[in-house]
Amino acid sequence: MNRMLALRWILAIALGATCGNAADVFRESLLPVLQTHCAKCHSGNEPGGNLRMETLDHLVGGGKRGPAIVPGNSNESLLIQLVRGEKTPRMPMGGVLPEKVVSDLAVAIDRMDAGKTPTARNPYQAWLFAKPLRPAPPVTRDPQWVKNPIDSFILAQLESKGLQPAPPANRRALIRRVYFDLTGVPPTPEEVEAFTADSSPGAYANLVDRLLADRRYGERWARHWLDLARFAETDGFAVDSERPTAWRYRDYVIRAFRDDKPYDLFIKEQLAGDETKTTGPPKQDRGEKMVALGFLRNGTWLPDANFQTQNRQDFLDDMTATMGSVFLGLTLGCARCHDHKYDPIPQKDYYRLQAFFASTRQAEQPIAFTPEESPASLRRKVRELEDEYDATAELAKSVEAEMKKKFAASKKMKPEDVLPPMLNRAIKDTKSALFTPEERKRFQSTQDSLARIEDALPRYRPVAYAVADVVPPDVPAVQDTHVLLRGELDSKGEKVESGFPRIVLGAERPAEIPFAGARTSGRRNALAEWIASPGNPLTARVMMNRVWQHHFGEGLVRTPSDFGLNGDRTVQPQLLDWLATEFVIQKWSIKAMHRLMLLSATYQQATSHPDDGASAKIDPENRYFWRMNWLRLDAESLRDSVLAMSGKLRPSEGGPGVYFHGNAELAKSFPQFHWFVSGEREQGYRSIYGFQRRSMMMPMFEVFDGANMSETCPRRQTTTVAPQALTLFNGAFVNEHARHLASRIVEFAGPNVDRQIDRAFRVILGRPPTKDQTMNARGFLGKSRPEDGLAQFAMVLLNVNEFFYLE
Amino acid sequence: MPVNLELARRRFLYQSLTGLGSLALLEQLNRETAAAAALRLPMAPKAPHHSPKVKSCILLTMLGGVSQMDSFDPKPALQRLNNTIMPFSKDNVADQPGLYSKPRKILGSPWAFKKYGQCGRDVSDLFPHTATVVDDLAFVRSIQAENGNHPAAVFSLNTGWTMPGRASMGSWITYGLGSENQNLPGFVVLPDPDSLTFSGSQQWTNSFLPAAYQGTMMRWNGEPIFDLRQPAGVTTEDRTRQMELLRSFNQDHLNGNFANPDLQGRIDAYELAYRMQSEVPSALDLTSESDATREMYGMNLSETESFGTRCLMARRLVERGVRFVQLYTKSQAWDSHGDIRTNHAKVAKETDQPAAALIKDLKRRGLLDSTLVVWMGEFGRTPDAAQTDLSKAGRDHNIRAMTIWFAGGGIKAGVIAGETDDLGNKAVSGIYRMRDVHATILHLMGLNDLQLTYYHLGRNMRLTDTGGRKIESILS
Repeated sequence: MNRMLALRWILAIALGATCGNAADVFRESLLPVLQTHCAKCHSGNEPGGNLRMETLDHLVGGGKRGPAIVPGNSNESLLIQLVRGEKTPRMPMGGVLPEKVVSDLAVAIDRMDAGKTPTARNPYQAWLFAKPLRPAPPVTRDPQWVKNPIDSFILAQLESKGLQPAPPANRRALIRRVYFDLTGVPPTPEEVEAFTADSSPGAYANLVDRLLADRRYGERWARHWLDLARFAETDGFAVDSERPTAWRYRDYVIRAFRDDKPYDLFIKEQLAGDETKTTGPPKQDRGEKMVALGFLRNGTWLPDANFQTQNRQDFLDDMTATMGSVFLGLTLGCARCHDHKYDPIPQKDYYRLQAFFASTRQAEQPIAFTPEESPASLRRKVRELEDEYDATAELAKSVEAEMKKKFAASKKMKPEDVLPPMLNRAIKDTKSALFTPEERKRFQSTQDSLARIEDALPRYRPVAYAVADVVPPDVPAVQDTHVLLRGELDSKGEKVESGFPRIVLGAERPAEIPFAGARTSGRRNALAEWIASPGNPLTARVMMNRVWQHHFGEGLVRTPSDFGLNGDRTVQPQLLDWLATEFVIQKWSIKAMHRLMLLSATYQQATSHPDDGASAKIDPENRYFWRMNWLRLDAESLRDSVLAMSGKLRPSEGGPGVYFHGNAELAKSFPQFHWFVSGEREQGYRSIYGFQRRSMMMPMFEVFDGANMSETCPRRQTTTVAPQALTLFNGAFVNEHARHLASRIVEFAGPNVDRQIDRAFRVILGRPPTKDQTMNARGFLGKSRPEDGLAQFAMVLLNVNEFFYLE
Repeated sequence: MPVNLELARRRFLYQSLTGLGSLALLEQLNRETAAAAALRLPMAPKAPHHSPKVKSCILLTMLGGVSQMDSFDPKPALQRLNNTIMPFSKDNVADQPGLYSKPRKILGSPWAFKKYGQCGRDVSDLFPHTATVVDDLAFVRSIQAENGNHPAAVFSLNTGWTMPGRASMGSWITYGLGSENQNLPGFVVLPDPDSLTFSGSQQWTNSFLPAAYQGTMMRWNGEPIFDLRQPAGVTTEDRTRQMELLRSFNQDHLNGNFANPDLQGRIDAYELAYRMQSEVPSALDLTSESDATREMYGMNLSETESFGTRCLMARRLVERGVRFVQLYTKSQAWDSHGDIRTNHAKVAKETDQPAAALIKDLKRRGLLDSTLVVWMGEFGRTPDAAQTDLSKAGRDHNIRAMTIWFAGGGIKAGVIAGETDDLGNKAVSGIYRMRDVHATILHLMGLNDLQLTYYHLGRNMRLTDTGGRKIESILS
């Protein structure tokens, strides 16, 4: 650890001249020296040489001999010339500063941001911040292996490294891989057999096309985006209030992927749906776009009247940093308090970007449900709830009246004098014999029903959890954006205008905001247009890397939301550029790019290589993709697959989040939140439809590295910890579904034990057992109880590595 | 592979291009071995940065804000000025503008203070049991909090940051040190399960650190960990046979796939879980403790049963090598804007005896030297009240002063650090903040807060962000 830190320090110094906000640099590096060595004479009312040195302004303003420093240029700074003795009298008067102190001063002055446009510090940055050029796929020695241009890039590099691609994966492994990849659930045994038997040349391409058109594709890939969008349905913090219609954003994302919404449009809707020109039938289109704005609202929120200005600033920071991470792959958030330490993003550029949001405020927009949201069924649901409420309220009234009477009688008072708190106390007092347990239970269940419906109704209100633009004359003026020194609200610096990062533009100029004066300020629209343009150097590359990451287990850049200097660097810049330009040519169609990647020979490789050892010596991390990476089921795929195999998976049309059983036990520790478990059918919905309460992640998801809902999550952790084994081997969910699975197996295979074993292997692992495994399993079942032996056997198969890790 | 190690490696490669050649290469090789080990056993003990003073830490989290002037920081001036108007100054309104919109009255402490122990420490009548162990404690009266909201302040206490989303102290410490017992979680959280703190598990989250370092919540009544036991109907014999079959199938699979180290890691995790199933219940089997011990912790009284049981659990866990144990009172337990007399008397009753018992018990077993015990909340309280009738008055949140105490190895027992103004309103000397408390705890455990880093979202994250100051005067 010590060594590491030391090396990191050396690196920081080697990188050298990072720019710094002049005031920060002054405070941190200059002021301590000046106070020690200069303040005696150069302060107060009659400073030496008429030069005070207490503030940066004093130094820049200078004294009798002119400015004491020139920010960004130590050699031209009088202060340095004097302490070096290059000019006389040498300072400090009568003494000599240690060499180290002098050189530190010079370095600090050089670091001061002189308002210069940052420039690329090395070829990597120069590449990153320039629009991708379309490279020609290289010529390879072995043209046979190449199925499309992706393979040309991959193979050319493998050849130059002395590596060979792995052989193609077998058909069983391939269909499992592509099924989990595109739908998040395994193929049925019948689908596996049909595919392995189909030797026609187009079989695999047909499979890919079929899965891309599958409803389940949208649910699987939307989850990746919701991770990035820090999606949840509550505020976080203590109160963790519900956002009753936040689910509409989730369904919007599912539809966007399902319908292959062009990525540029997807960006524009999420950043500026209220400001972009409509493309479809105006009304319906508008609804969709307002819901998309949920992207900007998804962050955590602490409602507190005492800290409104700070909260507003936190909201602005959340939008700015998330936008930077998600769309640009830049850690803009680092430049909130100081100039970015590694990337050419001065602090000022952070606030110039933040200024695009200066007119954005949180708003719940009344937006009718779009046809895709099936308004008729939502209305039906509301009617059902209302009817149920009326019936329950009546019942609750009579139950309460009865109990009131009983209570009054016991206290010898009139029923009408019994106040609700008195009655409630008596009902809660389990030690008293006044009420029977049945009476108490009945009371509680009617009260719970009412509360459940009261919770549910607001979720069906036609409201978009979104943002709006502050527009005069409703609001007199948009607040100016200032650079905030150290990111603190009470340290306002220079005022800035909205603008794009200087490193990309090559100069500082304010963004053109063509909508100015219209219904909204058009600021976010200008930002979205810039991000979603083919000319943006980052947008297409960042998204292509994300898509690649989910298909191949690792991105070309392995820090998918940090393309900066401190992040990972791709060894395939040409391939990434080709993908990015192809993405634009394909009109930003994500499905077209899936198809390209999945049909490549690179994707269809096996995970093991006949020359594993030798290849691993050359490329231990598989940066060059000489084999396919192992993929591991994420939390949602794990749960969804168990449901699919047990036959309990139910399709959902979307709508308000479902309350899964899996949270019920945990919910007992949160008496302040209701957790009314949803009905049996809903328990079979895919995980993406589960209600996302920030302070109560489902325990099963928590142990399996579920997305932290507090901030954008560009890649899931893949940790291996003992509680995962407890969850999968002891947990109620898996045990229950192992039983369902066992009955399905018996239904299919009948009483023959070998057939049961065979079926269990095929359902769970997609292959028949080996002879030894059949023997082994037979031995196990022979010693088991007939009533639950098969379920216990299924439990074992659900826990094996082969199920959890995909070849 | 954890992306952090990955990046570290890449950075070394980059350095080797910039002239640090052979050193970088050596480091790379070292790290790859370490990375492989970390993947296999994330909780394996790791070398500290410097020689540690203690092996374990128990954090007694006093939620809601304990009043310093009613506990361990006596203010005679308060008694003198009782029921007079609090002098108004800009200083008062800086962090709570709403509070001073109307005059507020100074509230003298309802409790008397006496001096205890050889060190002659002032303790109020609220804490008769803590009073008996003051010679083992070091008090700091000058802690300032970052935020006057409970949730934000509790996040700050746990993660060093007022917003959700950062890693908690226990996660950082186990990430830095691993844990001594591989059959128990390294970071255990013992909340009151009937009233969890704000945001629940987000307060003990690993966040960006690997999930192995997340806090494991254990409950004091009922099943301590979710899914620890075999499901109903599955006997131990069944489970043994299942494990055998699982091993055999996993071995078949492994034989074809030696190149994937994760597979062995997962097999190991199952074996560990299997051992935890027996180790956790025996670690938490309090029936093996004598009646005298149980009574010392107050397990025989309904008020002290919950906190007392958890204090005893904490002792048994650190005894078995668990690195970091964190107890919580009920959510907002000490919060007393209203009638502080009733509130503080009740919560002190629930926690005073168990906390003192923990110190005594650790000491008599020789564990206090290798354990650090910290007693702290998220902020202090104001010297004045909003109410006009002081017989039912309370105190509001105060981020400018709170008193906390430390005990155990490396602590100079019997000392006091820092002081507050005459009214206890504001720390005036030896001022420390949460990050300083964190730096002090890390230091005692053998970690340097600046060196304990994890690369995330573009920067090296730390528990103390830009660094904290150790509270030197309480260190032995």
